[in-house]
Amino acid sequence: METILVPYTTDITLLSVLKLVVALVAIILLLIANSVVMVYLERKVAGFVQRRPGPYEVGPWGILQTVADTVKLLGKQILIPGNSDRFLFLLAPVLSMFPMFLMFLVIPYGPILTGLEVNLGLLLILAFAGMEGLAVIAGGWASNNKYSLIGAARAVSQSVAYEIPLILAILALAFQHGSLDLSVLNRAQEGWIWNWNIFTQPLAFLIFVITCFGETNRAPFDLPEGESELTGGYHTEYSGMGFALFFMAEYTSMMLVSFLAAVLFLGGSNAPVDIPLINGVWWTLIKMGAFMTFMIWVRWTFPRVRFDQLLNINWKWLLPLGLLNLWVTALVMKVVGN
Amino acid sequence: MFKAIVDNVKGLYSLLVGLHITGRYALGPFPIWLKLKKPENGYPQLTTHYPRQTIADEDLVTFRGPVELIPAENDPTKSKCVSCMMCVKACPSNCLTVVKGDEGKAPKLWTSNFTLCSLCGTCVEVCPASALRFSHDIYWVAEKREDMINDLLAKLAKNGRN
Repeated sequence: METILVPYTTDITLLSVLKLVVALVAIILLLIANSVVMVYLERKVAGFVQRRPGPYEVGPWGILQTVADTVKLLGKQILIPGNSDRFLFLLAPVLSMFPMFLMFLVIPYGPILTGLEVNLGLLLILAFAGMEGLAVIAGGWASNNKYSLIGAARAVSQSVAYEIPLILAILALAFQHGSLDLSVLNRAQEGWIWNWNIFTQPLAFLIFVITCFGETNRAPFDLPEGESELTGGYHTEYSGMGFALFFMAEYTSMMLVSFLAAVLFLGGSNAPVDIPLINGVWWTLIKMGAFMTFMIWVRWTFPRVRFDQLLNINWKWLLPLGLLNLWVTALVMKVVGN
Repeated sequence: MFKAIVDNVKGLYSLLVGLHITGRYALGPFPIWLKLKKPENGYPQLTTHYPRQTIADEDLVTFRGPVELIPAENDPTKSKCVSCMMCVKACPSNCLTVVKGDEGKAPKLWTSNFTLCSLCGTCVEVCPASALRFSHDIYWVAEKREDMINDLLAKLAKNGRN
């Protein structure tokens, strides 16, 4: 307990500032590369699942498709609907993208590779995860459009609902390892594969996976967007780079939860075998990529749920199960831990 | 309560079944370099890569494209139309124009405005001379609105030349 309560102190030196700047630049490059790869991967997987080849014409196997799409989006005029809140309308896409940089700073990519060493990293991520919901509300409200407003209203109730089981699932991990520091959680899963939290906390992992789809507004929980019923929901009125930023934010939040799944449950930078020499950032990246591919696979398999079903799953199943899991974890830790 | 839990566990299992099906489809023919399965044994691609592959003509006979005139048996450049105007009267979209020729029953102008046509097929059904049918050409495109007004007699005359 003492490690949590000790306030984190740091000396602001030139070196620490330099490290932050380098980390931020690397993160921005990572996010852009991620969006480029993910758009291609998403369309290719969608094609394969639906038994067609996917992007095919631009470059070999269509790998330059995203470049062509980006050029097209950059060339589009930014249209602002009449009677809309101009300031909020332009602010919302930026607001959806910016908190992401902060959240990526605290993720331990390797055993010692972190942008910012904080002992409350998990708390920081949970605090800023709600910011994307705020951006969606701002964009939906400012658009002065019924579809956008309904999409925004759905986003509010969805993100409020799904944040609670997410926190309960992660809190069980914090109970188990006695820390909110992501690096500590990462190191705690060293050794053989059964040390990973997915095997010690399977129920928490199940809850975490389901809430991931709710938090990132991905199918089957993509009700705020709902192409077929809301014509895009909160980003109906956005064109050009405003739309592209919302799109990037979606893939970025996907990558964030995939990194969280890798670090919290899938062993992070640890190899599945007990050879400390081969541990490293590549394991985090492989696990993150596998989880993202799984999210795409799920999107192209399951139909969208209805809104009452979405909230029923959350309040009637995930919340009681999360509480049960937390209670059992606390009991076991009290009996075994001391 | 117990039944609800059993139902939900079954529901979770059905999700896994769905994932298995789409995963099998995705890895059926693709990626080819993995050589997981021969395309004829797996799940072949369902689409046609258009400019490089086309669908065989016999697979297109069920396609109901813009109407066309059926050529007469004795002369493929001439139509079987008797200018009775049944199709013009029957057309709910008023997209047909037929002008009777000066001598005999043969028409001298026969146009179909495809910008109005809804492909309902009433003209084909009412034609007493069986002179109309749906075309099977899926590749027809027009760049201008005026290009969509088909002169069907001219099309027939073109038929004879080749």
